[in-house]
Amino acid sequence: MVVEDDSLPKSVRDALPGVASSSIRLSAEADLATDGRFGERWVVLADDRVLTVASEDGEARVQRDLALTDIDEFKLESLVGGGVLQAVVDGREVDLISYTNALSKRFADVRTQLEAALKDKPIPEAPDRIFRCPKCGMVLGERTRVCVRCVRRGAMLRRLLSYARPYRAGLALVSVLMIAAAAFGLVPPWLTKILVDDVLIPKANPHLLGWLVFGLLASSVLSTVLAIWRGRVAAWLGGRTSLDIRAELYDRLQWMSLRYFDHHPTGTLVSRLTQDSGGVQDFLAFGLPWVASNLIIVFGVAGAIFALNWKLALLVLVPAPLVALLTRSLIRRVRLAFHKFWYGWSRFHTIVNDALGRVKIVKAFTRELDEIERFRFRNMELFGASVQAEQTFATFFPIIGFAVMSGSLLVWYFGGRLVIGDAGLSVGGLMAFLAYLAMLYGPLHGLAQSAQWMSRAMTAAERIFEVLDSEDYVERAPGKTVPEELRGEVEFQKVTFGYEKSQPVLKEVSFEAEADRMVGLVGKSGVGKTTVINLLCRFYDPDEGQVLVDGVDIRDLDLGAYRGHIGAVLQEPLMFSATIAENIAYGRPDATTEDIIAAAKAANAHNFIIKKPDGYDEQVGERGDKLSSGEKQRVSIARAILRDPKILILDEATANVDLETEELIQEALARLIEGRTTFTIAHRLSTLRNAHKLLVLEEGKVAEFGTHEELAKSKGVYSRLLNIFRKTSRVRAVDG
Amino acid sequence: MARQNGPASGAPDDQTRTRYLDPDEVRVFRDEDGRLFATVAEELTVLRPRFLRVHPLTDPDRYLAIVGPDPEGKDFGLLRNWRRLDRESRDIVNGELNRRYLHPVVKRIMSLRDYFGVAVCVFDTDRGLREATLRDVRDNVIYLGQSRILLTDAEGNRYDIRDVGALDAASKAMLAEVL
Ligand SMILES: Nc1ncnc2c1ncn2[C@@H]1O[C@H](COP(=O)(O)OP(=O)(O)O)[C@@H](O)[C@H]1O
Ligand SMILES: [Mg+2]
Repeated sequence: MVVEDDSLPKSVRDALPGVASSSIRLSAEADLATDGRFGERWVVLADDRVLTVASEDGEARVQRDLALTDIDEFKLESLVGGGVLQAVVDGREVDLISYTNALSKRFADVRTQLEAALKDKPIPEAPDRIFRCPKCGMVLGERTRVCVRCVRRGAMLRRLLSYARPYRAGLALVSVLMIAAAAFGLVPPWLTKILVDDVLIPKANPHLLGWLVFGLLASSVLSTVLAIWRGRVAAWLGGRTSLDIRAELYDRLQWMSLRYFDHHPTGTLVSRLTQDSGGVQDFLAFGLPWVASNLIIVFGVAGAIFALNWKLALLVLVPAPLVALLTRSLIRRVRLAFHKFWYGWSRFHTIVNDALGRVKIVKAFTRELDEIERFRFRNMELFGASVQAEQTFATFFPIIGFAVMSGSLLVWYFGGRLVIGDAGLSVGGLMAFLAYLAMLYGPLHGLAQSAQWMSRAMTAAERIFEVLDSEDYVERAPGKTVPEELRGEVEFQKVTFGYEKSQPVLKEVSFEAEADRMVGLVGKSGVGKTTVINLLCRFYDPDEGQVLVDGVDIRDLDLGAYRGHIGAVLQEPLMFSATIAENIAYGRPDATTEDIIAAAKAANAHNFIIKKPDGYDEQVGERGDKLSSGEKQRVSIARAILRDPKILILDEATANVDLETEELIQEALARLIEGRTTFTIAHRLSTLRNAHKLLVLEEGKVAEFGTHEELAKSKGVYSRLLNIFRKTSRVRAVDG
Repeated sequence: MARQNGPASGAPDDQTRTRYLDPDEVRVFRDEDGRLFATVAEELTVLRPRFLRVHPLTDPDRYLAIVGPDPEGKDFGLLRNWRRLDRESRDIVNGELNRRYLHPVVKRIMSLRDYFGVAVCVFDTDRGLREATLRDVRDNVIYLGQSRILLTDAEGNRYDIRDVGALDAASKAMLAEVL
């Protein structure tokens, strides 16, 4: 198969000596020169030659030209901040091309492709790993296709508003109320004008006085009532919309694959759910209605003052944009200062949280004084930032006030001259004018800031949409086989997998576990035992190869139904902050008290539980902190047992309990594993004595697989481990 | 226990004890095939040694570990100051370090534009110009001491700003926008 890459620039293509375009099978761009500077480099596979090309300022030059037949192997060396693709020639590594972290996934694929070419296999298609916007080339977020640079504000706003679409009626009501409230807000100054000009100054028309005052009262009451009504409806709308957004966000997060969580620290996800959705809510509930109603007021007021005296109106409106601009730049400086302060706050928060949360270790190493010193330093830093922020605010805010004020001085002077000269403005008109002006500057001032609000809300929205648009969730496609019953045969077929693609943890792992038997996993810590379990649970999918259960690829099974047949005691016994009973029943919420007790008994947990003051109702605390690690393990064993799974997984399930307790649990487990396919990981080989087969992993590969007797005889890894184990347990027997 | 066994006098294979190497007893060279070697006091030759910085960020020029090529990375000892090696060795080690530690240091920020919290900027670094996309900047910044920061961009590349205070005013202002 020919993998033609159109992206190979013409200059590079032309620089290849004696290479016809049609013979190019593969090409990839790298971003580092040999001297470690950034630069454009290409690796090209043409027929059976591998070439590297340096391209600088549109000039391309071939650097290496190797025949595929001279190459034994392609390798990747991972470096700090990047890596290098190497060819092994005569048993010696030759650096072909270097790249930064940005391309490490891409080059893992390139290596696989080159290896295939080396073995005369068809070159596999490489997935698109460079998540860039096709329009502007900007790097996109982890697995989203939405580019913030190309999405216009309008589109983002529309999308945000689309969440309000189900509440169209409410939205319409808010709009009507807003216009009405603004209209009634414009009435009082106008009535004042009539009052002054037609009643007070001529000292006439006394019958009008009562009506005018009543009119003032009525319009104020009406506009107040309307404003309250509007505010209440808008608050509900905004709250409701962000409730929907939060719900969608949480729903999406719950179904994200573990890979997603590997790349996104919990803290940032939490802040998306809390701060960002809060930011969106503020915007929808307060910001947007505020901007809309103030826009209406601004236009209404502008109309009114032009009606009063258009020349004077022009005079005050001309400097208005200037005032707005000045305000904006001052506010910007205030904002920057506050930003620093808030950010300092959050860092401060982290540090205090850290120190107080880990107070035990502080005390264990008597570092109290240092912690106090560290705190003092941060505290001072915070003080500095807060003083700066507040002082900036204290300086600029009055200036802004003055700028706003100065507009009305203009009106007093020029308006006053018009009144004195009887040039088209009455005293009442002047007063109304000033009243309108006061109504105008507030909103203008705020509107200048609204761009800032908008962009903050859009930033929050962007972060939320990034999660919503991520394609990294576990698909729950309907129409997959729902396994009612499992026989429990498990088979790994040439499974290769790495948490980072470029660094496989498991390499072509194959083995078969018979139904209802127990497989023990053995190997050094970090070799990939838990990873095997992660794949079996389908927390991750293999990069290559298949995991089969009853002969079916588990990717073709309904995930929920499949996991329903698995009970796992994971290496870290994770607890919810709830009661012990709730923690045990987590996998089977409908379990009766007696089921729970039976499971706890089997896990040898019952005895310690009933001794707790609150028995099964004892709260385990945050992350189960109130239980010892052995207790936590027993609770999680009970949880797995209660689920009555066909496939049982015990990942170092008894690592933290004493030998005696382990004996007891082992006995219980021996009864339990009947009729289940069990995978056990344990460091004490005695724990594995019930295992039917043992799977020994070494450097990510299967080193040995067989029964205890076979492996003991074979003089391999297992028999070596067995010897070590015998020696140490003899020592322990003597010591004990 | 340890006393009974007696302190192993820097036996090269004792992996629980640190061995400090004298720059005079270490030689790094390539043979005619270009293969890399390190010899320690004529007693030990390491083929394809790796040179690892002990403090790649905070003290990159001192404390260099010489380890074997295998994934286990057997430790052959520490150099307190590798710049005291003989000239040939020093040049090779320098080249190896430059190759391993792709660590761009930012000299200037040429431009920075913020799109809803995603900043696209062009850094002028000691390794040349580079456009970087910074997402959730505040989650991806590490403070090393008072005024040094490490920024990680959306693609996983890191940029070192050694001294924020020493940047030019324009760069500082752009940085303040996003931090
Ligand atoms: N979520 C993860 N992200 C990245 N690397 C991981 C992750 N979990 C485990 N690893 C790495 O994968 C390797 C195998 O880990 P694991 O399967 O947990 O080993 P063990 O055999 O001790 O159970 C280790 O090098 C570990 O550091
Ligand atoms: Mg493990």
